[in-house]
Formats: sequence, structure tokens, C-alpha cells
Amino acid sequence: MNFDIAIRSTEILLALAFIQQSAEHLTGPRDEKIIFIQRLVLSVLLLFGIQTQWVCLALVILGLFILKRFQGPYNGGSDRMGLLILCCLSAVYFIPSFQWQEIVFAYLALQLVLSYFISGWVKIINPDWRSGRALQDVFQFSAYPVSENLRAFAKRPHLLWGMSWAVILFELLFPLSVLSKDTLICGLVIAALFHLANACLFGLNRFLWIWIAAFPSILWLQHRIFSLG
Amino acid sequence: MLNTLKLLLPALIPSWRFFEVIAASPRIEIAMLQTAQTKPRNWKAVRPKPEQVTFYTMLKRLFWNPYQNESLFLVSCAERIIKNPTDHSQQEILKRVVADLERDPETVPLPPYLQFRLVFVSRGKAKLERRVRYTSPVYQISDSAQT
Repeated sequence: MNFDIAIRSTEILLALAFIQQSAEHLTGPRDEKIIFIQRLVLSVLLLFGIQTQWVCLALVILGLFILKRFQGPYNGGSDRMGLLILCCLSAVYFIPSFQWQEIVFAYLALQLVLSYFISGWVKIINPDWRSGRALQDVFQFSAYPVSENLRAFAKRPHLLWGMSWAVILFELLFPLSVLSKDTLICGLVIAALFHLANACLFGLNRFLWIWIAAFPSILWLQHRIFSLG
Repeated sequence: MLNTLKLLLPALIPSWRFFEVIAASPRIEIAMLQTAQTKPRNWKAVRPKPEQVTFYTMLKRLFWNPYQNESLFLVSCAERIIKNPTDHSQQEILKRVVADLERDPETVPLPPYLQFRLVFVSRGKAKLERRVRYTSPVYQISDSAQT
């Protein structure tokens, strides 16, 4: 994937993710609606590639207002990833040097890889995760399961032990997937399925769309590094 | 402005330590009161989870999930109150709880006063433990102003 296609793909996927998020806020209080109608309009402009440079800048400024409005992210990690992608895109548009544009976009790709690797690392060093106990806790009493009957998974320790190790190994091994295009595509498919499962079981739908929006950056970086030889 | 930039920093240099520790999880409970002096007795869970969610609903929520995302924001507000209580977090909870009550025909007309508390659920030795870690002041519902 070349640089221009990766940037345009990121814009489209980010715009779609922002449209989805913004639409959800239109059911909220009046002050939220006012902010998110603006983000919805800007995201549609981003989707169609209209005045992209200025639209990205306006979205960053609006992002700061949203951070102030909620005194932090509204939905934790998904909001942070959205802002990171947006800031990287904006930087790409405002930095004149192509080399620095590539460095900024590579930083996004690096953060995508780290988002899996660090999550895996903090789990593998935690005995509760290694024993499956932590995932049992997630199902048993955390605020995440979307229904009460999903809490019954907490009574299946062997299954949860297997699921814990599957998650840990996937997250830790994800960086190795960049070694070839095929393994990376395979890794990204698994990643998307992982986010899909989190969305279905824990209602974390925003993570699915926003993480997918960062995928073009790693596809580009993989091509950029391994096509040099 | 500086404070907003401080909020932006974790997005630019994220920590990505998802689910590092499964800490005690907050539940918001409310008591509807007739007077500001009434002692709360019947605490009611805010936004209890449905017993079951169909696979179709799960798929639909991939695209449209405002209620669950708002519920997760309320969880964040509850956690923020414990770490660093601010009027913002309290008002966010109050505003959304009142909106829920206004939408529910069983709670209309609304009582004049409301109080909420945060119950943290965690793993105990034999069973789950519930601990009340915060009880809000009594709020007047009509203007959501603290009394």
C-alpha cells in the first residue's frame, strides 16, 4: 500500500468511525448534540475528501473542545486512538517535508502495534491473567458484559483460561505479523475479529471501527520497510 | 487551555495498558426522596443490565450503541469521583440519571429530590463483595442543583 492510498484509506475509515460516534451523541443532552453535529458535518467532508487539510485541523480543535466538555475521553481508549489518528493525519498535512510526513504516519503504525503488544505484556506479567482469573472477574463483576446471562461465563474457568491465553498470545505476537504482507493481513483479520468479539460481548463497538481506521498505517509501514530490499 | 492540552497528551503518547488489573467495578444506585431531609431507604440500581441480549441486537449495536457507551461513560465518572471528586463528574451522573427517570413512565412525575451512591463490586473470598464508597449530597431534581 503506497503512502497516498494509506492516507486516503485512513481518512475514509476515520471519517466513518467519527460519523458513527457522532450520530450516537445526537441522542444525548443538547450541548453534546451541538458539538457532535459539527463533528458529523466535518466527518462527512473528510469522507469525501473536501478541504481535508482544514477539516482535519477543525476536527482536532473540536476534539479539544470534546475533551474539555467531558473532562477527558468519553470512551477511554477508543477516543484516544481517534485523536491520535486525527493528530497524525493533521500533522501529515501541515508538515512540508515528505520524510517527516512518513515518520509521523509510521508513529501511528508503531502505536497500533504497541496497543496490542503492551496490552499483552501487562497481562502476561499478571498472575491473575495467566490463571484465567482476571477474565473470570471481567465476566463476573465488571461493568462490561452487555447482559446478565453473559456473566455465566465466569463459571467456566477452563474456557476462560484458554481465552485468556489466546488473547495474551495474540497481543504479544502481533508485532511479528509485520514480517510479511500475508502474516500482517492474517494478524489484522484476527485483530478485527478480536475487536468484534469485544464489541458483541462488552459493547465496545467504537474500538472496532477506530482501530480498523489505523490499519492502513501498518499496511503502509510494512510495505515501506520490507520493499526497501 | 493548559488543562485541555494535558488531557490530549495521553492520546498522543498512549499507555495502552488495557485490562491490566480488574479493579472493583462501580454500580450507581439512586434514592428518590420527597424532602431534602428524608433518609434514603430504597436504593435502586441505575441501568441494570438486561437478562439477555440477542445476537441480532449485538450485531445492530456494532453500528448503534449510544446507551451502552453512555453507561460506560457513567462508569468512568464514578471512577473519577473516587479518584478525584469533581462537580463535573457528579453533574454528569445526575443529569443522565434524571434523563433516564424522565423517560421512564414509572418514575414520572419525578420526586423532588434525588441522591445517588456508588457501590463498588469486587471479588471476595467466597462471593462478590459490595462496598459503598461514595454517597452524593441530596439534589433537587427540578433544577438539578445541589441543595
